[in-house]
Amino acid sequence: MSGLSSSANLWSAIRREAAFLARDRSVLAWWLVVLCLSVLAVSAGLSEVQQQNATIARLLEADAADRSAVLKTQSDWGGTAYSSFHLTYDAPSNFAFAALGRRDDTPWKHRVRMLALEGQIHERDAGHPVLALVGRFDFAFLAAFILPLVLIVLLHDIRARERVAGRYDLLVATAGRADRLWQMRAALRTGGVFICAAIPLLVAGVMANAAAATLLAATGLLLVYLLAWTILCARLAASQRSGELILAALMTIWIFVSVIIPAAGRIAIDRAVPVPSGADIILTQREAVNDAWDLPKEVTMAAFVERYPQWEAHTKVERPFAWKWYFAFQQVGDQKAQALSDAYYAGRQKRDRLAGRLAVIAPPVLLERSLQMLAGTDLRASLAYEARVRAFHASLREFYYPKLFLDEPFERAALDSMPQFGSQPPK
Amino acid sequence: MKRVLVIAAAEWRYWLRSRLAQGGALLITALLVATTVLTTLRMQSETAERTQHQAKAETAFLTQPDRHPHRMVHYGHYVFRTPAPLALFDPGLDPVTGQSIFLEGHRQNTAMFAASGASADLGGLSWLSPAMVYQLFAPLLVILLGHGLVAREREAATLATLLAQGTPGRVVLAGKALALLSFVVVLLLPLALGAGFAVLNGEQLLAAGALMIAYLLYLVIWGALALLASAFIRNRAAVLATLATLWIALTLVLPAVAVSSAANAAPMAGKLEDDLAMLTELRKLGDGHNANDPAFAQLRADLLAKHGVQRVEDLPVNLRGVVAQASEQKLTDTLNSYAGARMAAETRQAAALSVYGWLTPLLAVAEASRAVSGTDLTHHHRFLREAEDLRYAFVQGLNQIHAEKLAYADDIRRSSDPAAERRTRVDAANWQLLERFRFQPDAAGSRLQQARPQWLMLGVWSTLLMMAGFWLGGRLKP
Repeated sequence: MSGLSSSANLWSAIRREAAFLARDRSVLAWWLVVLCLSVLAVSAGLSEVQQQNATIARLLEADAADRSAVLKTQSDWGGTAYSSFHLTYDAPSNFAFAALGRRDDTPWKHRVRMLALEGQIHERDAGHPVLALVGRFDFAFLAAFILPLVLIVLLHDIRARERVAGRYDLLVATAGRADRLWQMRAALRTGGVFICAAIPLLVAGVMANAAAATLLAATGLLLVYLLAWTILCARLAASQRSGELILAALMTIWIFVSVIIPAAGRIAIDRAVPVPSGADIILTQREAVNDAWDLPKEVTMAAFVERYPQWEAHTKVERPFAWKWYFAFQQVGDQKAQALSDAYYAGRQKRDRLAGRLAVIAPPVLLERSLQMLAGTDLRASLAYEARVRAFHASLREFYYPKLFLDEPFERAALDSMPQFGSQPPK
Repeated sequence: MKRVLVIAAAEWRYWLRSRLAQGGALLITALLVATTVLTTLRMQSETAERTQHQAKAETAFLTQPDRHPHRMVHYGHYVFRTPAPLALFDPGLDPVTGQSIFLEGHRQNTAMFAASGASADLGGLSWLSPAMVYQLFAPLLVILLGHGLVAREREAATLATLLAQGTPGRVVLAGKALALLSFVVVLLLPLALGAGFAVLNGEQLLAAGALMIAYLLYLVIWGALALLASAFIRNRAAVLATLATLWIALTLVLPAVAVSSAANAAPMAGKLEDDLAMLTELRKLGDGHNANDPAFAQLRADLLAKHGVQRVEDLPVNLRGVVAQASEQKLTDTLNSYAGARMAAETRQAAALSVYGWLTPLLAVAEASRAVSGTDLTHHHRFLREAEDLRYAFVQGLNQIHAEKLAYADDIRRSSDPAAERRTRVDAANWQLLERFRFQPDAAGSRLQQARPQWLMLGVWSTLLMMAGFWLGGRLKP
């Protein structure tokens, strides 16, 4: 054997393995199944993204029509601010088809107006609850949870089956190097799974105009992930034990990293990082807004001026009702709830950060989260959208406050400079 | 019969010696016990918290000072949905639907604050509940114990001896089936404990029993699949690989594929889109705050004619309150027709999903489990409807006070005349009109009815598989 160069040796070994493989119907069948599942996952993702984009397009149109109908009947700035709603939305990214992530259970569209934002931003126009509960078949789910199981089924008896069939010694004896034989066998099987999973992803990525870097990162992650599972499977498969025992052991590992660690981690993180109850945020805001009707107007205005000192000279209200006072107490309502609301935001952020750290010991979760991050469908994206809605709402206030506090005359032409959501670049 | 028992007992002895069987059983049992305890604690603290919030919201409403009744229409009220007793076993839609709604005049708000939005995100399988352990992982244990039932005897050549001694194949299979069935019954003990606890917390015995039967049928289906594979696939390793593949397909892949397909087959517009369509319609109804809105001219003329007076000020009722009542009623009709259509669309989409229960028993048992536990879509919809009924009742009650207890002359001048404003405040005792809200699941009988298609699916699956076992049992070969 030493007479042959090692690379020629390697090639002949690969050819031999490929010839064995071509006759192994079950491996080919598994590759076909993976290919079909991957096609199914990305096409379902593409059609969902298309539906969401179509929804946004319809909403934009209906929103503009509604606002222009409302604006026609307005004759003062206060009424205009009170009655005109504005659509805010988080459009799916070009890679969202691969990992729909939180878009199923967190809202990604709102219509807000200049009233207290805390009363509006927690509205949930989210997807179908049963579908969100069962979970979609997207590429991230396929890659993170199903493909390892496929590898487990394919690789657990890679040696044991030959032993049972009585071919083990013959194979080892005729192979150049015994350990390399099994490595190659495992690598070829995994390589096929990787290719069958990645090709539909890449095709769909090109169809959806996803960035090349994103696709490259996603396929790279997938490759590393599958290799890690392959090494684990091959290690366990090398033991002298029976195929059943190896399969059971691998399944147990899968259950631990996909289910038990994540489930325990969720409970531990949620315990360790309390967030204020949503109900408290809403109740605080509502009490503040409603109490204002009965409070002396100066009290409301004083609280308002703390945030907007520039209007201090214009806070005098002589009538029982004035729009500037009305919007001032809406603002104060948000201010009163701000501590809770900030804590709610920060708490979710912290929980997510910890979840990201914990995912290091739960690789399926790590891969799923990484793909969702690439797709912009993770909790961070959802929180970033929330921040954009807040920024937009603040810009509405910036637009109306001068008009209300300086008592500017109502001018239709000025409506054109009303802030538009989405005109500010996403962070 | 005696031989059946002997075979079953021999199987139990084998399991008790097998480290693999013991390890698997220990893992799943530990998982069941842990999730039962944790979910029970979580749902109890949720119940306590929501009950407390509900009481706080009611107190807040009832202790509001004297004021204009329309202020109370906008002050509004909150309702919270307390979980059903069996939610400690199957929280169902609880984490993915909002659990509180703000009720106010002129609007139907969404249910806010779903737990899934705020919780640490660790993947879909991390929402582990006892129900999910039974649905996903109990079948694995059944497979682990069941795959060797016949295949092991065949491998050790004891099957040939058994058959040669004159034991009919059906008796062998019956003995093995009895062993697995008795194991499944033992496996249901944690569920029985959870259900028993729910009964102590006010659940009806019928629902608790039905839940156990649903999971019994489900696990019987898996047991039958394992037994059939074990008896009719020659090689023991192939039996396990086949069953593992079946498990991946039926519990992980198919349900998720079904979701994608249902979302595609029965798409539905979101609430925002419905709201926009509705707003266009509503603009025609007029603004209930403005009694001079032309949309209410007819109402005003009718009212003047009915009381035989010329001026609005001479009416015995406050026109503004009457207009508010009439407009709230029309508005609510429109709101309800849209809400009804949206719930119907959601129900259609859910039905498109549940049809897949014919393909995978997991979807059937999951749906039955949620229905029986009172945590399904139907109960979510009923929560929304009951919240709306409460909203309409107190808003119209307040509008009636507005119409009957306030003078129109004061009402129109309250924005400019502080004395008139004071006279438009009504006594706080009127706020007692608010109904107390406490969400209760449907009666057990109607929850069972709700899951009728799922009972049929589980029944057909288990019957067919048992018939297959009986028929094939006659052809058992060594």
